[in-house]
Amino acid sequence: MARSFLEYKTDAWVQWCPGCGDFGILNAIHRALAELDIDPRNLVVVGGIGCSGRTTFYVKGSNLHALHGRAIPLATGVKLANPRLKVVIAGGDGDLLGIGAGHFVAVGRRNVDITVIVFDNAVYGLTKGQAAPTLPSGVKTKALPGPNIQDAVNPLLLALASGYTFIARGYAYHTAQLKEMIKAAISHRGTALVDVLQPCPTYNNVMTNQWYEERVYYLEEEEWDPVVKTPEEYRRKVPLIAAKMLEWGDRIPLGVFLKDETKEPFEERLERQMPGYMDNPPSSRPISVDGYPLADPWKVFEEKVVKKVEASY
Amino acid sequence: MVDLKILIGGPQGGGIESAGQIALKAFVLKGYHVLGSREYQSNIMGAHSYYLVRVMRRRPRALTLPVDVLVALDAESVLTHFEEVRPGGFIVYDSGTANVKASTIAPMAKPLKERLSEFFGRRGSEPTVSEALKVAEERGVTPIGLPMKQLLRRVAEATERPLASISRTVNIMGLAAGLYLAGVELEYVKDAIVAQFSAKPKIIKPNVVAASMAVEHVSELHEGLPRLEDGPLKGKQLMVATGNELVAMAKLVGGLSVQTYYPITPSSDEALYLEEHRYFELNDVAKERLGLEKMGIVVLQTEDELSAINMAIGAALAGARAATSTSGPGFSLMNEAISYAVTVEAPILITLWMRAGPSTGIPTREGQQDLLHALFSGHGDTPKIVVASGDHLEAYWDTIKALEWAERFQTPVIHLVDKYLASSMISIEKREIEPRGYPIMRALKTDGDLRYKVTEDGISPWVPLGSSTMVITGLEHTEDGFATEDPVARDAMMEKRRRKMETIKREIPEEERVRVYGARDADVVLVSWGSTKNPILSAMEALEGEGVGTRFVQIRTFFPFPEDTVSRELSEAKTVIGVEQNLLGQAAFLVRAFTGYRVRHMILKLNGRPIFDDEIVYGVKRILETGEETVVVRGGS
Ligand SMILES: Cc1ncc(C[n+]2csc(CCOP(=O)(O)OP(=O)(O)O)c2C)c(N)n1
Ligand SMILES: [Mg+2]
Repeated sequence: MARSFLEYKTDAWVQWCPGCGDFGILNAIHRALAELDIDPRNLVVVGGIGCSGRTTFYVKGSNLHALHGRAIPLATGVKLANPRLKVVIAGGDGDLLGIGAGHFVAVGRRNVDITVIVFDNAVYGLTKGQAAPTLPSGVKTKALPGPNIQDAVNPLLLALASGYTFIARGYAYHTAQLKEMIKAAISHRGTALVDVLQPCPTYNNVMTNQWYEERVYYLEEEEWDPVVKTPEEYRRKVPLIAAKMLEWGDRIPLGVFLKDETKEPFEERLERQMPGYMDNPPSSRPISVDGYPLADPWKVFEEKVVKKVEASY
Repeated sequence: MVDLKILIGGPQGGGIESAGQIALKAFVLKGYHVLGSREYQSNIMGAHSYYLVRVMRRRPRALTLPVDVLVALDAESVLTHFEEVRPGGFIVYDSGTANVKASTIAPMAKPLKERLSEFFGRRGSEPTVSEALKVAEERGVTPIGLPMKQLLRRVAEATERPLASISRTVNIMGLAAGLYLAGVELEYVKDAIVAQFSAKPKIIKPNVVAASMAVEHVSELHEGLPRLEDGPLKGKQLMVATGNELVAMAKLVGGLSVQTYYPITPSSDEALYLEEHRYFELNDVAKERLGLEKMGIVVLQTEDELSAINMAIGAALAGARAATSTSGPGFSLMNEAISYAVTVEAPILITLWMRAGPSTGIPTREGQQDLLHALFSGHGDTPKIVVASGDHLEAYWDTIKALEWAERFQTPVIHLVDKYLASSMISIEKREIEPRGYPIMRALKTDGDLRYKVTEDGISPWVPLGSSTMVITGLEHTEDGFATEDPVARDAMMEKRRRKMETIKREIPEEERVRVYGARDADVVLVSWGSTKNPILSAMEALEGEGVGTRFVQIRTFFPFPEDTVSRELSEAKTVIGVEQNLLGQAAFLVRAFTGYRVRHMILKLNGRPIFDDEIVYGVKRILETGEETVVVRGGS
């Protein structure tokens, strides 16, 4: 191993509450990056707004802290401009599945080579505990005046429907397993989701560590192969995967649900459309030669020039 | 002096656009400069739309009514425009529509039907095509009926094609007849048809035959206006392009490498045109020097405008030359991100194609209502550059300059262009868009690695993402980018933002930010911005001819505001008149805010149609005669 996980820590004070699940996720991220030996200068952690989004400041990288809900498009812009960068999004369930849900869907449709880590605590931590889109209906957490009257969205199914090619669910305090999932997600070429269930000891007094520990189990404990290699295999496996994703209650499955290797990542689509894109990506391609433009407008836009054309008709 | 005006009206989807383009091409081939404008509704098929064409020896500066020839491809066009033809002019119409009543035209706007009923009621008649033609005839206009049905049948026979496939040539028949009456030989119309349809050779023949038969028919009825002599540009190649297209061209020429957009009228045509050319061929020098044949621009349709602008910001922070383009409603969605772009100091260009609001408003129509919105967009104090172009070529060059300013000052630049520029087209000579004297270069300062360093000029070293470890955040931050709420660090950043604005003001010369035209000692000074520029210049010539001297202050950048020039010009003037296409007099409001000078008179146009030069002449004279504060002009259908 070339790097120690300590190299990915920053000297910023980590401002989360004691016992917060975010610590476990941060730890898993640090270790995953170290094991993948990613150069921090080539790493862009894009954080959302929320307690979780603060991860931006706690991982050594060339990082961006987005607006609330906009981590995905911001990160997509970075990746399209410089496809050589490793881009990892760290955002809350409110950020990515509430205010930013449209982007959560769109990134899957593009299969941009990005990893989306959802810090899924079922509450809006930073704004003091309101219901997040993943809080099941009927549940009354501490800060709510009554039981939640809106239903929860299923992040895994939403990702499946949106075309994500890697979908996993982890648990914040199972750092070793989570680290492996994050490594697999980052290594995967295409849009990857890691939905991380996490207790919020301050505001979510229902879905506590004990609550989760009593329910979670790993897909590997059963027979489970998430890899899909052909469109035919995809059609065959998807109903099983969807059924597994729906499982929620006394038992909550964790692990890699899907690793779809049939779809072209967005960067390759662009390369196909415009050969040379990867070698001369927008972030570093020349824009002129000696101050003169690369193209002659009269030639490139020739169809706008009015000319007498000889034609037999 | 040649000054021909032609209006072609018909249902949307009925080939009005191609008829208009063919007309422009025919005149260009004949050696003239042209200005064309498309007026359309938020509808795909059936609603009334029209094309206005003006032809002169030098480039026409404004559209105007009445026209010399109206080509009315359907009954609604006759009933909408019959009063917009000058005495001595012509109305070409389908003689099969003579008995059509306004009340039976389903797509026609109710208020127009009511106005027509009232108008014809006063004459003791009903609004029908033939009654409308009678009114025009009384005013010295000659109606020329084309028996479209019969002509179509003859074209079908001559080309041996089924009638149904020929019916789409109605637009060309009307146009060819109209151009004949305007003095253009059939030969030019044929050449223009070939040029227009060169990519679809199959439809050339039926259209050429249709044009010939229509001309054969009219020439027996009337000799039309005197034959048009060749224009001064005969034999010279001209380009005809819309403002949308010119801005796209400028982005490509100016080195843009990422453009995002979400479809909205009237901005999407710009992005789509750029997308069409996203993988472009390099010129010989670039080919040799770079060893490449082609280069690409990532042009991406996003899921919404929130995504469009955030993606552009992300791309810019990673080092791309990035832009997005939108219109009012989309720009509203972009507001939060503009504030973010200011804070993180992202060099991005936002092309804002203004259309008529409020709300969805009249989405395909002209308006200049987003100036204050652009200037004050973004929460918190958000200094940025706001530049407004006065005409097509300004829009082209301002795009190239804005891309550079965004980088040099690490700031969002909002480029205001109005719908009239978006969908009107002009003829252009090659040298006018050839980048000369304006070097295209990356302008990012690279003298260190402390991304948000507090500097004298307010500009920090540029460090793209992926080049070193760093943090960029919309939270207030210290010089290294980390979030802070420390009061001293906060003050330092706020003051840095102020100094950046001062630097921008110093480095973009005042001559670039405001332009002044006309006589120094003029009694009347007009203050305006955006696409009213050329109509104003045209009106100034007319006023001069009537003994009214005018001067015109065209404000181009509103942030930073050209206070010195505006203040000096206005304080010395006897009568100052603002000309704007918005309710509040938004530029006048800003003149007062920045200089303390109160513009007392306004000529406003609010109906969603572009302002005509003669409306400005009328407004100025009216204000001088009556001293009225506000004159609202109302031309156009
Ligand atoms: C546009 C906008 N609306 C509201 C907020 C306020 N806000 C800050 S964080 C947050 C919710 C965070 O919840 P989540 O994304 O689940 O993150 P967590 O704190 O739970 O990790 C909200 C609503 C904001 N910053 N921006
Ligand atoms: Mg949350």
